[in-house]
Amino acid sequence: MAGLPPVPSPGVVGKKPARRCAEVCLELLCAESVRLFHDKQSGPAAAAALEAVGYRVGQQLAERYTRDKPRLGDTLEIIKFVCKDFWQALFKKQVDNLKTNHRGVYVLQDNGFRWLQRLSPPGPGADPGREEAARQLALSYLHLPAGIVRGALCHLGVTCTVEADPKQMPSCTFTIRIMA
Amino acid sequence: MATSTLTFVIVGQEDHPIYEVDLTGPKEQQTQYLHQFVLHASLDAVDEQMWLSKEPHLKVVDRFNGLNVTAFVTPGNTRFLMLHDGRSDDAIRAFFTEVYELYIRVMLNPFHSPTSRITSREFDRKVKLLAKRLIG
Repeated sequence: MAGLPPVPSPGVVGKKPARRCAEVCLELLCAESVRLFHDKQSGPAAAAALEAVGYRVGQQLAERYTRDKPRLGDTLEIIKFVCKDFWQALFKKQVDNLKTNHRGVYVLQDNGFRWLQRLSPPGPGADPGREEAARQLALSYLHLPAGIVRGALCHLGVTCTVEADPKQMPSCTFTIRIMA
Repeated sequence: MATSTLTFVIVGQEDHPIYEVDLTGPKEQQTQYLHQFVLHASLDAVDEQMWLSKEPHLKVVDRFNGLNVTAFVTPGNTRFLMLHDGRSDDAIRAFFTEVYELYIRVMLNPFHSPTSRITSREFDRKVKLLAKRLIG
């Protein structure tokens, strides 16, 4: 992912500095991919396509970021890994709040989701129409990260669905429902 | 005449082999079937050991007729299995670590799906080189 230090390879010391990439490239890529998919297909199809792309990326990223870590045991540990290490690597911060109803539903809350930072929230006192439109727009940007989270979880053995909800931009929640 | 045994298999998440190689050169049909059978039968033993320990490197998990099976489990539940006739544990451990690195690179390839066979010739070549270098 752009702007992140590459995973250090063991035994390589004192070589030339690792190549880095400006983070704005990632932001532009995300914005453009959302626009591209919504141009080519309408509504739910575009959302599903973006989510599928995120799914593959999530699987591969999970493989990469669990590299030298000990194997994770149960579902809660896997979700904690996603909230801490995975989120840190992807979004440079950890998830702010994790709630569960102990019946297979987990809610991850991120106050200040990095990929929504560039979307301006509707001003205070804006009418509900504007707010709804802003929310829909933010939702279209959240399909990709929701797919990434689902891909990572499924690759690590937790079959689930992930739903993203932009509550108060730029904070948003991801609801993970474990499928029995 | 004693032929040495060294077969390496990568088993994917859905318990199907995604990569198999016989590191001591081609064998006759009968031995090949036997090796495959022993390796797949040992998957149950690997599962048992997995539940006991969090370590990715599991030592010898199963034995059959003088052949040993050593295993390595990745966090994504992919298993690396080595069928051998009593090679050094450290050498196999080093081999698994290096192959894990190569495996991650293959997985990061956007054109490769996690459940399909690894058909890359480069991967095959590097695995064989590693085996020659580390296990002999």
